[in-house]
Amino acid sequence: MKIRILQAYKQAPWRVQIQYIGLFLLALVLVSAIMGIYLNISAQAATSGRRIQSLESRIDDINNEITALTTQLAKLKSIEKMVKRAEELGFRPMNMNEAVYLEVAGYDPDPTLILAPPRVNIISESPVLRSSYRSSLWDWFMQQIWHASINPSQLEEVGP
Amino acid sequence: MKPPFYARFLIITLLCAILGTAIVIQMVRINYTTHAQDLLAKSEDYEGVKRIIYPLRGSIHDRSGHILASNQIGYELAIDLKFVIDPESVAFAVAKLIDHLDYPVVSAIASIEKQPEENRYFVITSFVSEEIKQEFEKLEENYALRRQESKSNLPSLSGLAWTPMQQRSYPEGILAANLLGFYNYFSRENAQGVFGVEEAYNRILTGKPVIVFIPNDPYLVEAYPAITPGASLVLTIDREIQRMLEETLAEAIDWSGAVSGTIIVADPETGELLGMASWPTFDPNNYAKYEEVFPGNTPYNKAIGATYEPGSVFKIITMVAALDSGVLDPDTTYNDATGVYWVAESWPIYNWNGGAWGEQTMTGCMQHSLNVCLAHVAIDLLGPDLFYQYLQAFGFGRSTGIDLAGEANYPLRLPENNQWVELDLATNSFGQGIAVTPIQMVAAASAIANDGKMMSPHVVKIVKDGEHQYEVPLQVINSPVSEEAARTLTDMLVYSLQEEASSALVEGYSIAGKTGTGEIPTELGYTSNQTNTSFVGWGPADDPKFVVYVWLEKPSISTWGSEVAAPVFHNVVEKLVVLMKIPPDNIRLQLANDQKDTE
Repeated sequence: MKIRILQAYKQAPWRVQIQYIGLFLLALVLVSAIMGIYLNISAQAATSGRRIQSLESRIDDINNEITALTTQLAKLKSIEKMVKRAEELGFRPMNMNEAVYLEVAGYDPDPTLILAPPRVNIISESPVLRSSYRSSLWDWFMQQIWHASINPSQLEEVGP
Repeated sequence: MKPPFYARFLIITLLCAILGTAIVIQMVRINYTTHAQDLLAKSEDYEGVKRIIYPLRGSIHDRSGHILASNQIGYELAIDLKFVIDPESVAFAVAKLIDHLDYPVVSAIASIEKQPEENRYFVITSFVSEEIKQEFEKLEENYALRRQESKSNLPSLSGLAWTPMQQRSYPEGILAANLLGFYNYFSRENAQGVFGVEEAYNRILTGKPVIVFIPNDPYLVEAYPAITPGASLVLTIDREIQRMLEETLAEAIDWSGAVSGTIIVADPETGELLGMASWPTFDPNNYAKYEEVFPGNTPYNKAIGATYEPGSVFKIITMVAALDSGVLDPDTTYNDATGVYWVAESWPIYNWNGGAWGEQTMTGCMQHSLNVCLAHVAIDLLGPDLFYQYLQAFGFGRSTGIDLAGEANYPLRLPENNQWVELDLATNSFGQGIAVTPIQMVAAASAIANDGKMMSPHVVKIVKDGEHQYEVPLQVINSPVSEEAARTLTDMLVYSLQEEASSALVEGYSIAGKTGTGEIPTELGYTSNQTNTSFVGWGPADDPKFVVYVWLEKPSISTWGSEVAAPVFHNVVEKLVVLMKIPPDNIRLQLANDQKDTE
């Protein structure tokens, strides 16, 4: 019977243990890192959420303030107040016979009030972007090939 | 052979299976019990709250952009017992700063022990002004200093909760109140515009409320959707003209002893109302006084909501109808030999002074306001069919469709109605037995002033919705008479006023106009001495820029329109030409000629 002798090699048990511990620690670090990132992002999201709520509340407050100030300004500029102020400054309503009329070219005594731009239908007559900016690189490439393959004389024939 | 511990494993397995099954059964049972919905609802409460966000109500401006109606923020004041630590200070502050709340009442609410557990949030008042809220804040600052000094947690206003609420504001106060209407914001969610522009345009002024879910979980928080405020309106009204009309009307009522009245100024070319004053009126900021100022069925805006027999101002309609139909011309004569016109040989019609005026041209009939002459025109020349066709063409018997809520209308009594008699035709010809609103008279007179073209009367000029605005298009609603007939009547009325040396005339300006004195019917007929006095006029006669209508109800100083309404018309026009920058005729015509020469 022929006996075959194989040389066996086995790492020392402590090395194997260290490798396992290393792998476990690596996994632990990875999991911790992921958890840390997750926690960080979650915290940021929560903070952002609360900040959004706070900003919405601030928007409400500012809008309320704008409304209150607009109304206050309107009250200060009310006709009763303006007449009173004018009288205090020594002015009085003009009499019909005191009016002097002058012709002023281009003067419109009753212009239309503009609170916002009038509603108009905007129809673009030409495309704002050239077609080459709206096609993909492949489309553009194929288009160039197609154009190059067409004889210019053919283009004239099919043209309107 | 059974493995060791078999019995024990079996028992534990069975126990686990029973426990698992019991849990599943319980889960199913909970989902189908009557309390399941309550539990679900409770769980939703913990998820967050649904909030309805009401857009800002649109503002209302005069034609120059001055704000007539806008919003301001009032506050709902509540006591949240969870946070109250000093009930006495809370009660003291509230009772001191809020007029209608007494100390004992607030103290009772703020005392924690006296309230059951479930009632912990009490709204004590609404729409507290910003100024009052600031007073509370100042007081709390003082208390905070005292707490620091005494190193205790008293005194404190902790537990007072403020919630902002939208409140309608009318910065001009009483100005144009009858035209604007008001917004009953105390009704909160059910608030809506009442009368006038506020009601007529309520839907677009309000905008669309948006329901927003506000989660408690901060991860689910999102920005609110963009909320478009309600549309804003620009009116055709000029606030200076409006103020002048209201002042003049108040003076006229005071001077004449009238019980109510109205003055309207319109642009006949466009149908735009430049001003509309009505009495009685009130400050819409304090709309709780509505019942007090407008008791019973008193119309909120008499200019559109009250019908009355107009009297002789109505003769302009009869006369222009006759001119348009070609049955007469200004020089056609009528012989008023007796001062009485017999209708169907049964009913006599008399002149305003009971006298006979002899032979008169049609211009003379208008100048002297002869009832018998106009009855003759309506019965003998026009006839009922033609007469009522013209009345309907002028819009009598139906609403004008003005864009204001609260318009009244009195139906015409036509020949096809059983109650109609020939006497109606005679009396209608001089404005008796027919009821109209002032705005109907303005629309009809504007049609005559505008060469026969009747424009739709309106008060809204521009609507601003979102980021854009659009102008309300002008509408021709009818052409009841020809340009020639309209101009002929205008010339007749100019001549009549000048010949009569009417107190309505304004120096330097050609004015066409007509007085009216309408008897007021009672249950027994025309037995009252009280009258409706009115005047309608327009000018400059060759190119009318304004129509002015004056109506004073039951004046005590005089019963005649020529003595009551005509001077008021004069006062209005004298100021109106300045505000509208209309030069006297000679200057205006000179400027027009100069312009022609340069062209």
